[in-house]
Amino acid sequence: MASLFQLLLLNQKRSLCTKVSTSKWKVKQVTTSNFNESLEEIKTHISSSDFIAISMEKTGSSSTTPWHRVQPFDTAETAYLKASQSAQRFQLLQFAVCPFSVTDSNNFVAHPYNFLLFPRDELKLGMPAYSFLCQTSQLASMARQGFDFNACIYEGISYLSRAQESVAKIRLGTGSPSLAAMKSSSPPTVADTVFVERIRSRIKHWRNTCKNSGAKTSKDEEIINSIRNIVLGNDQFKSRPCLNIDVCSERQVQLILQMIVDFPDDFLPLVIPTKSGTTQAVRIVLANSREDKELLERELHSIEEEEGKKIRGFREVIDLISASQKPVISHNCINDCTLVHSKFIAPLPSEIDDFVSSLCKSFPKVLDVSYLMKKSGTMKKVANIRNALSYVNTHFFAPVDMEIPDQDTEYKGNVDGLDALRLSYLFTKLCSILKISPIVPEFGDRRLASELEDFTNVFHPCSDDIQESSCNEDVSVWTNNTRKINCEHLVFLWGFKFGMTAGMLKSALRASHDIFSGEFDVRFVDKSCAIVVFWQPGLSRDFINVMNGDGISGGLKELVSDGLRVTCYETYRTMCRLGLWEMDLAESLEKALECSLSDKEINSERKSSEIHWCNDNVINFADL
Amino acid sequence: MKPRKLHSSILSRALSRALSSSTATTTSPQCGSAFPLKTVTVANFEPSLTELRHHVRSSDFVAIDLEMTGVTSSPWRDSFEFDRSDVRYLKVRDSASRFAVVQFGVCPFRWDHSIQSFVAYPYNFFVFPRQELAGFGPCNEFLCQTTSMDFLARYQFDFNACIHEGISYLSREQEREAIRSLNSTHDSEWSDISKLNDVRDTPSVNMADILFTARMKDKFSEWRDGLLQEQNQSGQIQGTRKDSKQQFQEMFFKTHPALKLDGFTSRQLKLIQLVVKKHFKDLSYFNVNNEVSGSQQIVVYTDSEDELNLLLKEVKEENHRAKEAKIQSAVGFRHVIDLLSSEQKLIVGHNCFLDIAHVYSKFIGPLPGTPEEFVASVNKCFPHIADTKILMNTNFMLQERMKKSKKSLAAAFTMFCPQIAGGSKSTELVSPSHVKVNVEVDDSRSSSWNPGGKHEAGYDAFMTGCIFAQLCNDLGVDFKLHESSKQLAFNEKLRKYINHLYLSWMHGDIIDLNTGDKVANSTPSYNLKRRYPKIMFENIVIIWGFPSNIKAGEVRECISKAFGLTAIVSVYHLDATAVFVQFSKTELVSDFLLLKESLERSNGPISVLHPLAKLLEGGNTCAANYDTYKEICGSPLSETLFADQANKVSMKWKTKLIENKISLSSEEHESSCLHDNANDVALNLVEKIKPNKIDQLRNDQSRGQASPSEIEESCVAEANL
Repeated sequence: MASLFQLLLLNQKRSLCTKVSTSKWKVKQVTTSNFNESLEEIKTHISSSDFIAISMEKTGSSSTTPWHRVQPFDTAETAYLKASQSAQRFQLLQFAVCPFSVTDSNNFVAHPYNFLLFPRDELKLGMPAYSFLCQTSQLASMARQGFDFNACIYEGISYLSRAQESVAKIRLGTGSPSLAAMKSSSPPTVADTVFVERIRSRIKHWRNTCKNSGAKTSKDEEIINSIRNIVLGNDQFKSRPCLNIDVCSERQVQLILQMIVDFPDDFLPLVIPTKSGTTQAVRIVLANSREDKELLERELHSIEEEEGKKIRGFREVIDLISASQKPVISHNCINDCTLVHSKFIAPLPSEIDDFVSSLCKSFPKVLDVSYLMKKSGTMKKVANIRNALSYVNTHFFAPVDMEIPDQDTEYKGNVDGLDALRLSYLFTKLCSILKISPIVPEFGDRRLASELEDFTNVFHPCSDDIQESSCNEDVSVWTNNTRKINCEHLVFLWGFKFGMTAGMLKSALRASHDIFSGEFDVRFVDKSCAIVVFWQPGLSRDFINVMNGDGISGGLKELVSDGLRVTCYETYRTMCRLGLWEMDLAESLEKALECSLSDKEINSERKSSEIHWCNDNVINFADL
Repeated sequence: MKPRKLHSSILSRALSRALSSSTATTTSPQCGSAFPLKTVTVANFEPSLTELRHHVRSSDFVAIDLEMTGVTSSPWRDSFEFDRSDVRYLKVRDSASRFAVVQFGVCPFRWDHSIQSFVAYPYNFFVFPRQELAGFGPCNEFLCQTTSMDFLARYQFDFNACIHEGISYLSREQEREAIRSLNSTHDSEWSDISKLNDVRDTPSVNMADILFTARMKDKFSEWRDGLLQEQNQSGQIQGTRKDSKQQFQEMFFKTHPALKLDGFTSRQLKLIQLVVKKHFKDLSYFNVNNEVSGSQQIVVYTDSEDELNLLLKEVKEENHRAKEAKIQSAVGFRHVIDLLSSEQKLIVGHNCFLDIAHVYSKFIGPLPGTPEEFVASVNKCFPHIADTKILMNTNFMLQERMKKSKKSLAAAFTMFCPQIAGGSKSTELVSPSHVKVNVEVDDSRSSSWNPGGKHEAGYDAFMTGCIFAQLCNDLGVDFKLHESSKQLAFNEKLRKYINHLYLSWMHGDIIDLNTGDKVANSTPSYNLKRRYPKIMFENIVIIWGFPSNIKAGEVRECISKAFGLTAIVSVYHLDATAVFVQFSKTELVSDFLLLKESLERSNGPISVLHPLAKLLEGGNTCAANYDTYKEICGSPLSETLFADQANKVSMKWKTKLIENKISLSSEEHESSCLHDNANDVALNLVEKIKPNKIDQLRNDQSRGQASPSEIEESCVAEANL
C-alpha cells in the first residue's frame, strides 16, 4: 500500500517534470525557402531511424456533423467512404514528420520536422487541387493555436501526387514513354522493312554530312547546309547536331530504336511526346564520341531529376518514407492513410479493398497508436494526442527520455507541428508501459516485436465507445460491448417529432405495433435520425414491409401520418457510396431513397456484411 | 476577386513576386506617404461603423469592392460563350454561394463645395465567416480556389488578420432565424425555471450523486438559516463560510441575498437545481445572462412568492436582452450593408454582378433560382447601382477612349484619372477636365499619396469611385450644381446607365435591375468585336464521357459523316471531357439523340462500322440537350471534370432520361413510318426550352446566317487556351 502511494507520488512528480520539459519541445519548421536542404537532412534521418511518426493538419474535419464521422454502426466499407470523403474535400496545410529511434527501453532520439504545405499550382495545370474546402470553425481553432496562415499560403511547399505527376509530365512533354512497354515485338512486315530501310539511309546520309561538314566551310556550302538542315529536319540539341524523324505510330518508334543499335554508338535517340502522351517524333542526337554521349545522357538525366523534384515538391518526403519501408506511427490510421493516399499517391479508389492493397504497396506498416492505447486498455477514448499524452503522464509511471540531437531545431524551431513528436513520445512511453520492446534489431529481417505487429495496418472505424457517445439516452443493451449484430437487423428511422428522446421514441414505437413487443433498441444518430436494432432476426424486414404495406394501422399509422419514415441499412450504404453528405442524416437518406428507387443495380451488387456492434469493430487489413 | 483580376496569373511567378514586394514597400505603414486607408477588424469595428455611418449619410455615392477566396469552383463553371443568360446566372450563384468574402472595401465619396473636389473615405474591412452564435450564422464551410488564394498572397493579403480578426456577420435571414428561436425559448423559459423538466430526466441513482445532493442540501439550509439569524445577530457564521469560498460566493442579486455558484459541472448544477426546487421554498435557482459578466448561476433568497415572481420576470427580461444584444453583435459586418441599403445611396462597383450576388448571398439570404427573382430582390435592397464597366463600354465616346487600353480596373484608373493614379505629386498640370479627389482618413485629409496596394478591397473601391466620378464628369454631369450631385442616381445624363449590370461580360448581356429584362448591347463597336456566330441554344447537344483522346475536330468529323457536312455549325470544348455541338437545325438534335440511342442498343456490325461508333467507344458516352446542361449547372455538387459532375447529377434522374429515350425509340421501333412522330416528340421536348428575351433577340438577328467554316477553329482555339 505504501509503495503504491509512493508510486502515485512519484507519478505526480514525474508529470510535473514532463510538463516543464514539454514546453521546451521544438520542431524544425520547413517552408519553400529551406526545403531543399531540409530534404537532404531528413533523408539521412529517415534512413537511420526505426520509426516515422506523422501527423497532419487539414482545413476541415468532419467533427461538426456527427454522423459524417465514423460511427459504431459503420461497416468497414461505410467507414472508409466517410474517411475518404473527408480526405478528398479538405486540404493539407501542415505535415509533421518525426523520424525516431528507440535506443533504450526508455530513451529515444527524434528528429522532428514540420512542413508547411500549400497546393500552389506551380505548373499552371490546375494541380494539385483546383479548389478546396475550408471549415470556418477549423480555421478559427487553428488560428487560436497560433497557426501562421500567411507563412502557409505564401511559403507553403506544393506537391503533386504520383498520379498527378505522370499526368503533368505528359502535359509538359517531359515524360519519356517507357521503353519496356515497347519491347513487345511482333514479326516485321514488309511495310516495316521498307520504313526501316528508308530511315536507315536517311540517318546514314545525315551522319555523313554531319561528319564531313567540319571540313568544308565555304559560304555557299554554309547556305546549302542551312537549306538542307531545314529540308531534312536537322537541328541542334545541346550544341550537338540532331535529326528529327516524325513518326505516326508507336510501332515506328520501336523500329527506329531497334535500328539505331546497328549504328556506331555515338547516337542518342530521344523520344519526343505529344501533349496527349503519344510519340510525335524521334530525335536522334549525334554525339562527338562515346564519352560525349554518356556525358549528354547524364546531363539529360540530371535535368529530368531536377524537373521531377520541382514537380514532386513535398512528395519527395513521402517517397522517402515509402522507400524506407519503415513502420509509420499514426494517430488515426484510417483518416491519415486516406489523406496521404489521396494527396500523394492517387485518387482514392471506390472500394476499400483496392485502397488497402494500393496503400500497402507504399506503406507496408502503419501503426495506430489510438488503437494500441484502446486495445491495451490504457485509455478508452483518445480524442487527441495532447490529451492522450497528458493522460498517460498522469496515470502511469514510465519515465521516457527524449533526445533531439539537432541544435538548429532547438534554436530556430517552434511548437507548430508538435504532434508528431508527441506521438513518438507517446509511442515510446506506451511500449514501456506495456512492456513491449520497440527496439528494432540492427541486423536481420528488422521485424517488429510481435505485439506491435498486431497493431499495424489496422483500421478501427469505431472510435467512439457507445456508452460515451453524445446520444447516451436510456438504451440498456449497449453495455454489452461485444455483441455483434448484422446490418440487416438495423433500420434507420426519421421524421418523428422534433425534440423526442430515444426513450420517448422507444415507448412510442412499442405502443405502435406488435413487432415492437420483442426486444429492440433505439439510438439517435443525430437530431433528425435514429437507428432501431431488432435483436430478433427477420423483424427488421417485417417492420419495413409493414411500413410499406397497405395494412398499416393503429399507432403506427398515426406516426407515419406525422411523417415517420424508415429504411434499411442498404439505403445507408447506397447513400455513402453516392456521396450524399447532407447536414442531416435524414435528408441524405431521403435523397438516397430517391436514387435507389431509380436504379436498383447499385444495391444488388453489394454483399451485405456483418458489423461488430460496439468498440471492437476492427478490420485488420493484412488479413484481407 | 473578379475574373478580370485573374489576368495577372499569366505573369510569371518571379515577376509577380518582384511586383508584389515593391507594392509591399509602398503600402507598408512605415512609409510616410502610403495611401491613406482605414483598415477595420474586430478590434476597431464599432467606432469605425459609427464613423462610416456619418460619412455614408453625407456622401453622394459609395464605391464598393470585394475580395473573395475564389471565382469558379471547377474549370467548367467558368464563363463560356455557350452559356445562356440563365445558365450564366446559375454559375454566378454557384460561385457566390460557395466562396467566402475575405475583404470588403467601402469608399463613400462626397462633393465638397468649398474645395471644388470630391472627398473619399476609403475603408478596408477584413471579413471572416466565423460562427459567433452557436447554431446560427454563416455556413461552416467555404471553398477556396487555389489560384485565387495564391493570387491574394501575391498581393500580400494578410490571411492571419483575416482569420484571426476578421469581422463575422449574420445575413438578414440568419438573424431572423436566431431571433425566432430566441423568442421561442423565451416563452418556454418561464416553465423551464419553474417546472424543471429536464432535471427529472437524469436519474440520480449513483452514490456520488446522492452524497452530493445531501451535502448541498446541508449547505443551503445552513446558509439560509444563517441569513435568517443574521437579521438578528450579524457575523456569527463567518467561519463556516470560509471553507467553501471557492464554490459559493455571497452576493446581492437585485437587493436579494444570493449565492453565486462557481466551478460546478453541468451535472452538479442540475442536482443543485433539483435540491433547491425540492427542499427550499424561499430559495430559487437562476441562470443569469448578463452583458457584462456573462453567464452566471446563482441561488437567490426571496421573502415571498410575489417577490420571487417579480424577480423571475426581471431575470427573464434581462436574459432576453443579453441574448438580443449577442445577436446584434453577431450581425457584425452586415450593419455596413444595412447602412448602404437604408441610406439608399448610389452604389458604384466595377463589373459588379458577382459582387452583388455575393453581397446578397452573404448578407440578405440564399440566392433565388432565377435571375429575374434575384434582380427583383436586389432592387428592393439597393435601388441604385452603377457599374463603371457599363459606363465605360456602353458609352460610345468613352469606348473610343478605352479602345486601345486594357479593361482592368487599374488600367482604367490610370487611363481616366492619371493625376490621381500617379499620386497628386505628379508634375503634369492637372487639366480642368479632371475631377479632383481628396482622401480623408481619421479626420486628416490628404491630397497626395503613393499608389495603394492593388487588389486591396479598400483601394480598389477608391479607384472605382474615382473612375466613376471622372466618367460622370465626362458625360457632362456637373457636380458644382448642388442638386445634381445630391440626386446623382436620377441625373438625366446618367439615368440610362443606372441599374444596368453585365450578366456576362463575354456575351455583353446586360441585365436591367429595375425591370429584370435583359438589354441588348446596342453599341456599334461591340458588335464589331464579336468573333462568334449567334448561338441557337435549342440546336445544341452536349456530349460527355467519350474516349479521352477524341478532340473537337474529330467529334465534328464523326457527326458530319453521319449527318452531312452542313449539319454542324460549331463544336466547342467545355473541358477535356465534354463538348457542345451546335447543329444547323433544331431537328438534328433529336435525330442525333435517337441515332445514338439506337446505336447503343444494337451491337451488330452496323453499329461498329457506323461513323458515330468512334464517339461512342467505351460505352460511357452520354448526350443531352441544352436544358440538361442547365440542370447540371444548377446542381449543388461540384466535380472538377464535367463528365463526373454530369454523371453524379444524372444518376438521380437516370430513369427520366432513359424513359424519354425509350419512349422515343420504341415508337421508332414499332414501325418505320412512325419515325416522324418520334421526331416530333423529341422536338417537343427540345422546344420546351423557352429562350429568354435576349436570346430570342440574338437568334432573330442571326437565324440562318451562321457560317460554319472558320468559327469552329476560333472556338476550339478558345477552348484550348
